[in-house]
Amino acid sequence: MDQVARRIPLIDGIEKVTGRLRFTADRKLPGLAHSALLLSPRAHARIVSLDPGDALDLPGVIGLWWHANTPKNGYNSSIWYAGQSALADERMFPPVVRHIGDRVAVVLAETEDIARAALSRIAVTYEDLPSVLSAEAALDHAGPVTDADGPTYLNPVDEIAFAHGDLESAMARADHVAEVTVRTPRSHHCAIEPHVCLAWPEPGGRVAIHSPCQSVFAVQAVVAQALAIDPDRLHVTKAPIGGSFGGKAEPILDPICAFLALRSGRPVRMALNRQETFTSTRTRSAAYGRMRIALAADGRILGRDTEVLVDIGAYCTGGSYLPGSMLQRLVRLYAIPAERYRGRAVYTNTLPTGAFRGYGSPQIHAIGEIALDLALCDMGLDPVAARVRNIVAPAARDPWQNLPLGNARGADCLIQGAETFGWTGRRAERKANSRFRCGVGMAVATHINGCFPGEDEASTATLRLLPNGHAELVCALHDLGCGSDTSLAQIAAETVGLNASDIHVAAADTDTCAYDLGTRASRMTYIVGEAVRQAGIALAAAVAEQAALALNAQSNEIVLRCGRATANDRSITLAELAAWLSTRGTDLPAATYTHRATANPGSYAAHFAEVDVDTLTGQVRVTDYLAVHDVGRAINPMLVEGQIHGGIQIGIGYALYEDVAVDTGTGRVHADSFARYTVANAPEMPPVRVLLIEEGEPTGPFGAKAIGEIATIPVAPAVVNAVNHALGSRLTDLPLLPDRIVEAVVQIERQG
Amino acid sequence: MKRSSPVYFVAGGTDLLTSARQMPLVGTLVDLSGVHDLAFIESSGADIRIGGATTIAAIAAHTKLAARFSALSQAAGECGSMQIRNRATLGGNIANAAPAADLVTALILANARLKLFLPGGSCAEITLEEFRSGTGALIAEAVLPNLELLPRSAFAKLGLRRDLTIARINLAAMAEFSDGRFGSVRLVAGALGPHPIRLLRAEGALSGCPLAPASLRVFVDALAADVDAAIAGRASHCWKRRAIRGLGLDAIARLCEMSPRDPLFDETW
Ligand SMILES: Cc1cc2nc3c(=O)[nH]c(=O)nc-3n(C[C@H](O)[C@H](O)[C@H](O)COP(=O)(O)OP(=O)(O)OC[C@H]3O[C@@H](n4cnc5c(N)ncnc54)[C@H](O)[C@@H]3O)c2cc1C
Repeated sequence: MDQVARRIPLIDGIEKVTGRLRFTADRKLPGLAHSALLLSPRAHARIVSLDPGDALDLPGVIGLWWHANTPKNGYNSSIWYAGQSALADERMFPPVVRHIGDRVAVVLAETEDIARAALSRIAVTYEDLPSVLSAEAALDHAGPVTDADGPTYLNPVDEIAFAHGDLESAMARADHVAEVTVRTPRSHHCAIEPHVCLAWPEPGGRVAIHSPCQSVFAVQAVVAQALAIDPDRLHVTKAPIGGSFGGKAEPILDPICAFLALRSGRPVRMALNRQETFTSTRTRSAAYGRMRIALAADGRILGRDTEVLVDIGAYCTGGSYLPGSMLQRLVRLYAIPAERYRGRAVYTNTLPTGAFRGYGSPQIHAIGEIALDLALCDMGLDPVAARVRNIVAPAARDPWQNLPLGNARGADCLIQGAETFGWTGRRAERKANSRFRCGVGMAVATHINGCFPGEDEASTATLRLLPNGHAELVCALHDLGCGSDTSLAQIAAETVGLNASDIHVAAADTDTCAYDLGTRASRMTYIVGEAVRQAGIALAAAVAEQAALALNAQSNEIVLRCGRATANDRSITLAELAAWLSTRGTDLPAATYTHRATANPGSYAAHFAEVDVDTLTGQVRVTDYLAVHDVGRAINPMLVEGQIHGGIQIGIGYALYEDVAVDTGTGRVHADSFARYTVANAPEMPPVRVLLIEEGEPTGPFGAKAIGEIATIPVAPAVVNAVNHALGSRLTDLPLLPDRIVEAVVQIERQG
Repeated sequence: MKRSSPVYFVAGGTDLLTSARQMPLVGTLVDLSGVHDLAFIESSGADIRIGGATTIAAIAAHTKLAARFSALSQAAGECGSMQIRNRATLGGNIANAAPAADLVTALILANARLKLFLPGGSCAEITLEEFRSGTGALIAEAVLPNLELLPRSAFAKLGLRRDLTIARINLAAMAEFSDGRFGSVRLVAGALGPHPIRLLRAEGALSGCPLAPASLRVFVDALAADVDAAIAGRASHCWKRRAIRGLGLDAIARLCEMSPRDPLFDETW
């Protein structure tokens, strides 16, 4: 093998660093019209009237649209195929706004400045409605909050319960039962590229949509639902993306942009500014979790009782899946004989939530891993040893879906990680009674590989030989910047004996690609990679068949390597082969393969963190970090490490700094700029070591499993556990802001 | 320039152009960043003079200034990021008058005076405390009177992050310090109110005392008392009254050219 398991640089890297790559906002189309959104200043209010003032008279203003003159179709921006059933409670412009930042109106004009100037001329009269601004408050609002303008707005939006084994007897038998509550904050993706979309009319009453997204087919499905038109009228193409992390998984601007293009007959651009991206897109939901853990004296977890409350914000989107997703990930980590789980998702009048790197996993594993650490601490048990005792073994099945977890190597992550980190020695030494306290902590996590057993978990890849001897990969791919195009090119190249840079990845296009779910659920390498591998094997066979003719050999004698087909001592380059085929009027070989998933193995990880805590100022520094990941096999170790480094940066922010912080009195978003939304910057990054466990997953392409989402999942609990170790505290409200640290330290000092 | 049209200044633009406040739509914008005569640091004479359009990077890098008043150099060195420091100016920091403006805390400590060009064309010299922004006055230079400077000084700040962070509190300290003992001590803290304030209790606690755990303990308690007097009842009070102890020790350690992790400071706690 010479393409897989290699540190190959991004195939689009040079285009990116030289600025040659054109992002959506860079595109200049002739006759482009620009837009600006009027966003709600009210948390929950009926729009009584909208007076355009002289907005429409401003030179350059093309039009103004709001709920009175736009389609009233309900839609759900999280659907990924046309006709998917989901609570369709969103509208392009609702008559009742449900959160500060909700969409009230849009102005289309010759320039964005004119559109924005026109907004200031519009006067809206609102009639305030009672608002629900926290998940706890939402529980008191079981039943309709308002039936003002349907669909009825009921809490909880979703509820899921699961029981397995005999929990009561586990609790009774236990040597210790700990109860811990954990709160995780609402967080924002902070992609460098704010949300943006282009749309233009195409012949035949069609409209083209070009936007950075995670699935062209999801965009097509959502826009079709919002406009109540045939999806075939929508031609969606993928634009290069400047970061998503889940923030662009749901089309937010696309329905409006397509509508404006159809209505005005012009190419239309919609672009949010940074503040709008904070207040009017999506966030990771805040969660509240209470866990009771029954432990035996030897560290075995006998039973666990978990209750989770998720604030999904003002619209359902995919938030109703969260309680189930959290359950799925929770029960795939440890083998626990008795488990009870109740998860509820509730609406509030706050900004909507959606996907964000892990879809529920960061929340549930933070809850579970912080709670477990405190329970073990109560008993004086070692966090690593106890986890080794409980973590699922290879080929285990989860108790909820009864799916095999594949070659689950969590124990290897723990054991090798503890060894490499020097866990035992470092955990033992803890200096008390000084201003700066050092502590070490760790956490484990698991995450999924794709959407199986969802019935639509499949991917179709086409690979075709090009006249220059390279190959084109056609698949509805969405590289979100993490390098999946490169990894998939490596897989394709490996199978057909080319270099990764010889694989031309076509941009996703609903007109030319087979349906694909898109980039979500950590499925790119594991699912799409396998489709590409199989298509590659088929293309190689087709190429070998033709080469056999050209070389006068048997096709099973043909070896494809380095862009050449060789048999015995005769050889031909693939470019020569392509030319030879063309002169004979033969089509160049191509192969298409549809891979339907048959498994959903777990990826596992153990992270180890060292922190330095200033007990006077409450500042925490992460001073050393080790991430150990069970990736099956790294297709590109450099890109895997890149994912892990980035995951740690996001996770440190989650643990220590980041909070969108919606005011529970007013519903206002406090952190609506980078001045207020604090992310971990380069100086906050510790030295990071990465250790990969490569034991191979039999169902994955070349043994590979996912890394993208799991990279960030164990980080926050590892850091929080390290802080609790340093201080002897029981901090469980994330992020651990200096104020919270100081409060905990003062309390500990008071108790002596 | 027509008298009727209002005049606004822009220097580095790091406040003006990034502000959420709308830029005025009418008026004349005068760019000071190219005015050579407003960008200088004169530290060889008795008083230190710094031009209003001097960049914060230039202030941070000036070794002679650091030797005489390191609190200002350090405040400059910790202001924003390298990119910000390369554009941001002293005059902008003063005129923007944010409660957390780092350089202003150090300048107040030095009892700085400002030379202004007034709209009518005349000049004036005032104390920094007397300065009010929005009057149309141009800050031509800041003067740090030699008589006000004590031999050692230091600056420390606390934000949410370590770097590129707006201060939740900042502290500038200036003292006589020799043979392990403090003489006069002056302390000014920012972000405890609209303008930086003197911390008189803490100054009193440290003046004339040895650098020793016992006196440092009294000193940090006095710092907390100063915070109590300034912001009792505010949401951030609980954190600030404790954090100032750490910040105070950081500043004193820096002033004494020691590490705040030195056992001497650790024992204070
Ligand atoms: C990312 C970022 C980080 C920052 N970090 C910090 C920080 O850590 N600490 C800190 O203190 N500040 C910080 N700032 C704020 C800002 O950089 C400083 O206040 C800077 O000194 C402003 O200088 P300027 O030249 O850019 O001002 P400008 O933006 O050009 O002007 C600001 C105001 O001052 C007026 N003005 C400018 N020069 C003069 C003059 N000579 N006379 C009269 N009026 C004048 C302008 O009219 C305007 O009203 C930060 C800003 C950003 C964007």
